[in-house]
Amino acid sequence: MTVLFGTLGWRPQSLIPSIRSTEGLERVVFYHSDHAKSRDARAKVMEFCRSLGVPATGVELSDAFDLLESAGRIRDDLRKEKASGTAIRFNIAGGTRLMSCAALLVCVLEGIPATYVHDETYREIQLPLLRISYGAGLSPKQRQVLAFLVKNRDKRFSETGLAQAVGVHKATMNHHLRKLEAMGAVERVTDPADARRLIIRPAPGMELLIG
Amino acid sequence: MRTLIATMGFDERRVLPSLRLLPYDHLVLVAGRDTFRSSGFRQLRTLEPDLETIRVNPFDLAGCLDAIRQSIRAAASRGPVRISATGGTKILTMAGIFAAFEEGIEAWYCDPEPIRLPILRGVRLIEGFAPAEQMLIRLLRRRNRLDRLVSAVMARGIPRRSVLGAVRSLEKKGLITAELEAGRAFVSPTPRFELLRAHLQEPPGKA
Repeated sequence: MTVLFGTLGWRPQSLIPSIRSTEGLERVVFYHSDHAKSRDARAKVMEFCRSLGVPATGVELSDAFDLLESAGRIRDDLRKEKASGTAIRFNIAGGTRLMSCAALLVCVLEGIPATYVHDETYREIQLPLLRISYGAGLSPKQRQVLAFLVKNRDKRFSETGLAQAVGVHKATMNHHLRKLEAMGAVERVTDPADARRLIIRPAPGMELLIG
Repeated sequence: MRTLIATMGFDERRVLPSLRLLPYDHLVLVAGRDTFRSSGFRQLRTLEPDLETIRVNPFDLAGCLDAIRQSIRAAASRGPVRISATGGTKILTMAGIFAAFEEGIEAWYCDPEPIRLPILRGVRLIEGFAPAEQMLIRLLRRRNRLDRLVSAVMARGIPRRSVLGAVRSLEKKGLITAELEAGRAFVSPTPRFELLRAHLQEPPGKA
């Protein structure tokens, strides 16, 4: 059985082809904005699903123009579904450009098969996404350091302080941080409270990578 | 030399925040034919006479992906590369983001606030594949008998067990399909594999 996720804008036609083409469709979950036309489109999609006897859930995003917030919400829902072992598909065609981008990001990071529906022909286009977890590009220790920094984003850690907090030697921490910095996953910035001190902070959006 | 690759549509105002916020020495604009005839583009040309243009069909995902990928590879030999996937059609934007993931370059979305997308610099998608998987990908061009393919990979020094594991793994990743026909196993590349082929094939080297 497959759960179909989707983003929805003003046109239900951007989602309906995927509802039709999904084999063994168990449920449909779609995200839309609070715009009146999006709500109209939601009603049409719900009606279509009802006629097929497929349960559907429309999720109204609080801010469809906030890419990272939308991506965070979508990722949390996808992970819950993934944990239950159900097959997942994602149609990223509808909604605001930011909603589509957020969905694409999550699909790449989580290795979820994604499709796009052409604006004029309504033909489904499969996106060349791999079913691999992108975060696997980090070593377990790099992941641990980054996860710690993401979890404690509001705290200020120097390199030495971070080594103590994570429980590794400061030379080992320096090695991991140089690698993470080269990948653009962390940044060294001057401490606003003490200009002589450099603090380490995760790059924006790394929450999506680590979870 | 720092290169900024920006996707663009009719509205040049969507590209301007990227140009203002992301420093560059060389600018590459990727857009459809009609965009390059627009007044917005002409205005941009007067501001940046040395900009490089790449014409794509902004509704053809594979074409956009291929063009952006080639542009990234060319620019990467000259220095750091960034992509701003803010303008153009949704397909062009998606191709830009996906190419950045494939090639491991920084990607930004500036509308108008700059958002750095969580892409690891220098981490290419190909690095997620084991050596046996990479070898299989290079050898599989069309539907083929599994035993012949396995022999071909083993002839390159990879143990049979690793090759069979790689077949299962590629199937799980959605890149190949395996089927039985008249008692023989066959493997075929999927449409997803075809779209990724250029990225997954080994770059040409010296003989």
